[in-house]
Amino acid sequence: MTKRSVMSIVFAGLGALMVATTAPAEAEACGGAWFPEVEVDFRPMAIAMAEKQLDQGKVAQAAATVIRTMPHVGQLNAKRSKIVERGQRVLAVAVARTNGKLELGQEVPAYARAHWAGKTEKDRQANLTFAVNALRKVNEIKKDDPAAQTELAEALARVDAHKSEARDMLEKLAKKDLIATPEGYAVLAELRAKAGDESGKKLALKRCEAMAPGATVCQTTARG
Amino acid sequence: MRRAAATTFALLSLVVVAACDKKDAPPSAGSGASAAPEPTAAPSAAPVAWAAALSGSAERGAKLVEKHECNRCHDGTGLERAKFELHCFGCHEDIIRGKFKIADKVKLAKWKAHVRDIQFAPSLEGAGARFEPAWLTAFLYEPADLRPNMVASMPRLGLSKQDAADIAAHLTRGHRDEKLSLESASAERGRAVLETRGCGSCHLMTGVAAFPAVPPSAPGERTAAIELAPDLRFTRERLSAAAVVRWLRDPAAMKPGTLMPNLGLSDQEAKDAAKYLLTAELAAAPRYVAPKKLALLERKVGFEEVQERVLGKICAHCHGNPDVAGGDGGPGNTGGFGFAPRRLDLSKYSGVASGYVGADGERHSVFLPLADGTPRLVAALYARHDEQAGKPRPDVRGMPLGMPALPIEDIQLVESWVAQGRPR
Repeated sequence: MTKRSVMSIVFAGLGALMVATTAPAEAEACGGAWFPEVEVDFRPMAIAMAEKQLDQGKVAQAAATVIRTMPHVGQLNAKRSKIVERGQRVLAVAVARTNGKLELGQEVPAYARAHWAGKTEKDRQANLTFAVNALRKVNEIKKDDPAAQTELAEALARVDAHKSEARDMLEKLAKKDLIATPEGYAVLAELRAKAGDESGKKLALKRCEAMAPGATVCQTTARG
Repeated sequence: MRRAAATTFALLSLVVVAACDKKDAPPSAGSGASAAPEPTAAPSAAPVAWAAALSGSAERGAKLVEKHECNRCHDGTGLERAKFELHCFGCHEDIIRGKFKIADKVKLAKWKAHVRDIQFAPSLEGAGARFEPAWLTAFLYEPADLRPNMVASMPRLGLSKQDAADIAAHLTRGHRDEKLSLESASAERGRAVLETRGCGSCHLMTGVAAFPAVPPSAPGERTAAIELAPDLRFTRERLSAAAVVRWLRDPAAMKPGTLMPNLGLSDQEAKDAAKYLLTAELAAAPRYVAPKKLALLERKVGFEEVQERVLGKICAHCHGNPDVAGGDGGPGNTGGFGFAPRRLDLSKYSGVASGYVGADGERHSVFLPLADGTPRLVAALYARHDEQAGKPRPDVRGMPLGMPALPIEDIQLVESWVAQGRPR
C-alpha cells in the first residue's frame, strides 16, 4: 500500500466520522427531518418596503433600502427584471425629489453610497440623468400610466434641458385631473411660476395642499 | 409566480367578509322573512318575456362563456376549471384547508375566518336538464340574488340581451321542452312533504311560512349545502314542472355531484311537492330599499382610513397592483370576466389618482363628477345598492361586482375623502 492510498483511506474515514457525528444533531434540530438549505430571495419584500417608505415621504430611507438591497441597482437592466424596475423607480423618484443629492445614512456601506450623495455638480447631474433614464424606461414598460408620467415629469423638471417637456406632461395630466401625487402638483406650481403663470401656480399649489395637507411637500424647494 | 400571485390575492382578501356579511346588510330580494312582505300575487313571468322571444346560438354562447371566463367561478361550463391564480376562490380554498403557503400562522388563522363564507359557486353541470333557457337568459342579463345564504352573487357582466341568450343556449344545450300536468297533485300534501323531508334545513322559500329545519341548523351555521341552496320562491321561474319532479326524485341524475340529497320521494310525493313549489301563493318578495345618502363627514378623512376600510379591503381584490401579482392586477385592472383592461389600481394612492381607461381608450379620473355631481368612484358604490334594489344604472356598473353593496357609512367615508380633496 502506498503512502498516498493510506492517506486517502484516512481522509475518507475522517470524513465519514464527521458526517456520522454531525448529521444526527442537525437532523434532531430540524424535528428529525432532513432538508436542503434554501436561499430566500428577500428583494421583493425589501423593495415593497422601499415603495411604502417612498409613499410615506421617507425619501432617503426608501433610497437606502433599495441601495442596500441591490448595491449596483444603477447598472442593472430594468427591462429584464420586474424587481429591478421597481427598485430603480423608487431610487429615481428619490433622486428627483432630492434634486440629485441623496442623503444616505451610515446604514448604506460607503462603497454603495458612491455618487448618490451628489457632492459634486457632476455627480448630481449624473444622478439626475440616471433618474430621467430610469423613469423613461418605466414609462416605456408601463404605457399610458399617469403615476409613471407624473414621476418622470418630476425628474425632468430637475434638468434644465427637460423643463418644458416636464411642464407639457404635467399640464396634460392636470387637464384630466390625473396628476397622481401632490409632489407632481408642487412641481407643476414651480414650472408655472417660472413661466410667469402666477394664477396657475396658485391653483396647482392648492391642489397639492389638498392632497398633502400639512405636509412640507408643497413648501419645499423653490416653488416660485 | 403562482405563490406570489396567491400571496398577493390572499393579502388582498384579508378582510372582505367583514363588510360582506349578508346578515348585516339590509334585506335583499331573496333574503328571507326579515322584511315585511306586501301581499301581492306570485312573481310575474313578465321579466323573462323578452328573453323567451330571443333565440340563442349555442355555438356563439360557447365562445362567450370562454370570453367571460365563467370557469373562473363555476364548474360545468364546458371549460376546464380556471388555473389557481385566476380562480374566484382558489386561494380561499387553500387557506381554509391549511394548504396556503405562508409563514405567518396567526395571519393564516385570521384569513381563515374571513374567507369562510366565500368559497362556493354553484356548478352549472346539467343546467340544460334543469333550467328554463328564458329564465337563464334574463338572469344572466340582469342577475338577481337567488341564494340568501351566500355572500357572493352572480355579477352583472357586460352582456347584451343577445349575448345572454347565446350563453343560455350553450349552457342549456340538450334542454327538452317537456310538459307535465300536476292536476292530480296536491299542493297541501306537497307542503307536508317539504316540511317532513327537512327542506328547510338548507332552503328558504320567501313569501310563504318558513319550513321547519330538520335537523335544526345551528344559528349562523354555514355549509356548502346551506350556502348554495336557492330560495325556492324562484323555482317556478327557473324550472319546468317536469324538471322539478325529476330533480326531486333523483337530483344526482340531473346534476352529478350535487349536494341536494335524494329524498327517496315517490312519483306522487315529488309531484305534490312540485305543485306546492310552483303554485303556492307567495307574498311579495321583500324589497331591498337602497339606503339614503349620509351627510359628508366633517372630520378629516385620510387615504389610509379609506384604504383600510374600503379600497384595500374590498376593491383591490379586482383592481389590484399587477407589479406584485405576477403581472395580473385582477379583472378590474388587467381585464377578465369579459371586461377590457381598465388599468385601475385601487391598491395604492397613486393608482387611484391615475384613474382608469374608459371605453374610448382614454384615461379618465375616477373623481370626475357624473351628471348629478357624484364622483364616478362614489357613484359606482351607490349603483350597487341600486342594483340590489332592482334598478341597475345603465351608465354605471355597481361595485363591488357580485358582492353585497358596501355599508352606507363606508360610502360616506369615501365620498367625504373625495370632497376633502382626497388627501394622501
